[in-house]
Amino acid sequence: MKCKRIFALIAAAALAVPSLALLSGCTGNREIVLRVYNWEEYIDEGGKGTFLYDELHELDDEGKPVLDANGGHVHIESDIVDDAYKAWYEREMGKELSPEGPAILDDFCLWYERTYGQKIRVEYSTFGTNEDMYNEIVLGNEYDLLCPSDYMIMKLAAEGRLERYDESFFDPSVHENYYVRNVSPFIADKFANNAGLTIRKDWDGKDILWKDFAAGYMWGTTGFVYNPSPTDAQGNPIDVDVEAMLKELGWSAFTNGQFRNKITAKDNVRDTYFAALGVKYQEELLALKDRFDGGTLSQSEYTKEITRIFNATDDDTISAVEPTLMDIKKNIYSFETDTGKSDMVQGKIWLNYAWSGDAVYALDLAESGMTEDGEEEKAVQLNYYVPEAGTNLWFDGWVMPKGANKQAAQAFVNFLSMPQNAMRNSYYIGYTSVIAGEEREMLDYADYLYGYAPEEDETETVDYDLGYFFGEGASILADAEQAACRQLYAQFPTPDVIAHCAVMDYYDEEASVRINELWSRVKAESLDAWAIVVIVVTVIAVLAAVLVARFGGKLDFFCRKPKKGYKLVKQEDPNRIQ
Amino acid sequence: MKFPRFTRKTLCIPYAVFLVFFVIIPMLVIFFYAFTDKNMNISLSNFILFFSDPTKISTIVYSLVIALITTVCCLLIAYPVAYILARSKMKKKFVILMLFVLPMWINFVLRVNAIRELFNLIASLDGMEWLASANYFKTVFGMVYDFLPFMILPLYTTMLKIDNSLYEASADLGAGGTTTFLRVTLPLSMPGIMSGITMVFLPSMTNYVVSDMLGNAKVTIIGKFIYDYFGSDWHMGSMVALVLLIVVFVSTWLSGGFQSEENVRGANL
Repeated sequence: MKCKRIFALIAAAALAVPSLALLSGCTGNREIVLRVYNWEEYIDEGGKGTFLYDELHELDDEGKPVLDANGGHVHIESDIVDDAYKAWYEREMGKELSPEGPAILDDFCLWYERTYGQKIRVEYSTFGTNEDMYNEIVLGNEYDLLCPSDYMIMKLAAEGRLERYDESFFDPSVHENYYVRNVSPFIADKFANNAGLTIRKDWDGKDILWKDFAAGYMWGTTGFVYNPSPTDAQGNPIDVDVEAMLKELGWSAFTNGQFRNKITAKDNVRDTYFAALGVKYQEELLALKDRFDGGTLSQSEYTKEITRIFNATDDDTISAVEPTLMDIKKNIYSFETDTGKSDMVQGKIWLNYAWSGDAVYALDLAESGMTEDGEEEKAVQLNYYVPEAGTNLWFDGWVMPKGANKQAAQAFVNFLSMPQNAMRNSYYIGYTSVIAGEEREMLDYADYLYGYAPEEDETETVDYDLGYFFGEGASILADAEQAACRQLYAQFPTPDVIAHCAVMDYYDEEASVRINELWSRVKAESLDAWAIVVIVVTVIAVLAAVLVARFGGKLDFFCRKPKKGYKLVKQEDPNRIQ
Repeated sequence: MKFPRFTRKTLCIPYAVFLVFFVIIPMLVIFFYAFTDKNMNISLSNFILFFSDPTKISTIVYSLVIALITTVCCLLIAYPVAYILARSKMKKKFVILMLFVLPMWINFVLRVNAIRELFNLIASLDGMEWLASANYFKTVFGMVYDFLPFMILPLYTTMLKIDNSLYEASADLGAGGTTTFLRVTLPLSMPGIMSGITMVFLPSMTNYVVSDMLGNAKVTIIGKFIYDYFGSDWHMGSMVALVLLIVVFVSTWLSGGFQSEENVRGANL
């Protein structure tokens, strides 16, 4: 007996050990905990495929490290992870840069302890949609740092659920304030005026500005990933000019019969409603664009107008857009959240409505000729296109919910804002960092990814202007195709695209109810009233028939109770053979 | 030390705790949410809104129809199989039965994904392009595939129990094949049919993984509908869930699920 109990104790201890190990991210006594709640796959997680790993290993054509004669990895001289980078790493983290691709969260723990002299542990968890995250917060889950999108930042701030950033966070003279020194002036400007949205007031009548509540992380546009030369299942080219069709149709590609079953929409109400507004009001948007391009409309007026159109949630607009949404549903191949990329690569669809970062990923994947699981596949060239009539400009930013550990949270944001770290995250997830860098380090990074030396070969090159993001005169010499429709164009939109963008506002309570009802009508198949009546009557008839068959005339509750002193005896079946 | 004696009551405690925390309390929470509004005031507005909105009724009706078609298809395929297996004197029939049951041992998301890929392959053939957008067909196919074993097993175990002498007696009394089937096999396998129907019909009303993965997210069944609502409006979501609960309750009651007679609900191998 005793033996057994000891055995049980040992077994329990054995079970407990791994969970203890889990807890010890950066162990030690008196450590503080930073609870970060971020999007899935939205930070450098370390290992293969990360910036540092790829930069420090020589990779063969399949992306696998080249081995030397002794089976060790062949390390390379990287253009960007050079001696200065390595020295920076050693200085900040207090250890040598390992070629195995350290995870950024581990590096943060090292850096924090070196900088502030206190141990820290990061509890990192992820969400799939802004709405999921919002529900978690409302239910009372506590975090120190969240990464919602623009409209959700507004919603959380307006509901008074967020802490303000300290004023000292914006003091550029403090060495640790990397964010304020490195953030792009473009982003800082957008965050200072809520990117042109109506500015709401809080309880005390103070303006609710993004910059007080949020520090930027990633940003981008939405647009179409398209296959310029689609093939049929046997690999024979199909005679359609997708590019020309798409450029002519713009948003209407969603409802145009030429793209029937060849286009996808997002399986969430915000993006698809936005797209439907684009389809419905395209002519109006194009007319505004003409006036703006012709110089009769100022940028601020123009932005205000398109922002109003893309954020209309009044009853009239909703009922006007409903048929458009129904047409979209009829025309598209699927509503998707993550299958679009593989459907594009496999050639099932020609157009995929996507966020710019996902677009970069899809383009990379398609031209690498590999699947997500690393299997070989036919290499396909995909392009990215933003509708001329204007599209969505979006931002994801770090916010601190009420009760957060502000000091640690702000330190985390600052850590991620070091250009060397912004590169790592941007490389890993494919999105565009809000960081420009004091010395325009991120321009070097863009140049390293997409730049060309003029004499290199005969590729047609253009001077790609990034002045709006990095400051005056910033540009890189890039492949003309990259600049026109490929990764560069997706990751760093042209000033022209930026000029024609609108940011999403959040729906207030009432509008939110109306739009969710609209979405449920769109997603569900609606039946005519008569069909419902017929089916309900049939169901009731079947129910009745089943009831009668089951209880056939001997429903107990219809029988009268026997008189007192008598017993109810069930009648024997006379035909029963004894 | 004296080892404590387990009585029946103490043995029940773990399950009772589980029942309270994971069945009864959640149900009460759903009930509470269904009959409150955003400000947590008691309100019937969700109830009224539910029954006055054609979309919600349509979705329930659609789910019912999809579940019904799935169940009928499963029954039509499973009945002959179970009959043949139970009646045959094959030595290796266990192997055949295993072939039907084996898929149940593989994670069903994996299986649905596999079907998805198969459909993709078929749809890429000449003349089969229609399959790519045949969302309802694919959904029902996926569900039939998924739930078939749940229909075969109870049928098989019931039919196995039918005494061979009954068939002999039926033949002695001059009944032909059809009469024997209608008056002996069918009535005696009724518990199995009922059990199979409950095990297929109910999950196929709510299993939106199948409809999402095979129907390109264009088929919305009631389970998905509830999920969507829980992203935006918990109160309406709870109301829909509650209505579904009632539908399930009624159909279980009708199919005799609450009877205590001993039949083949166990349906285990």
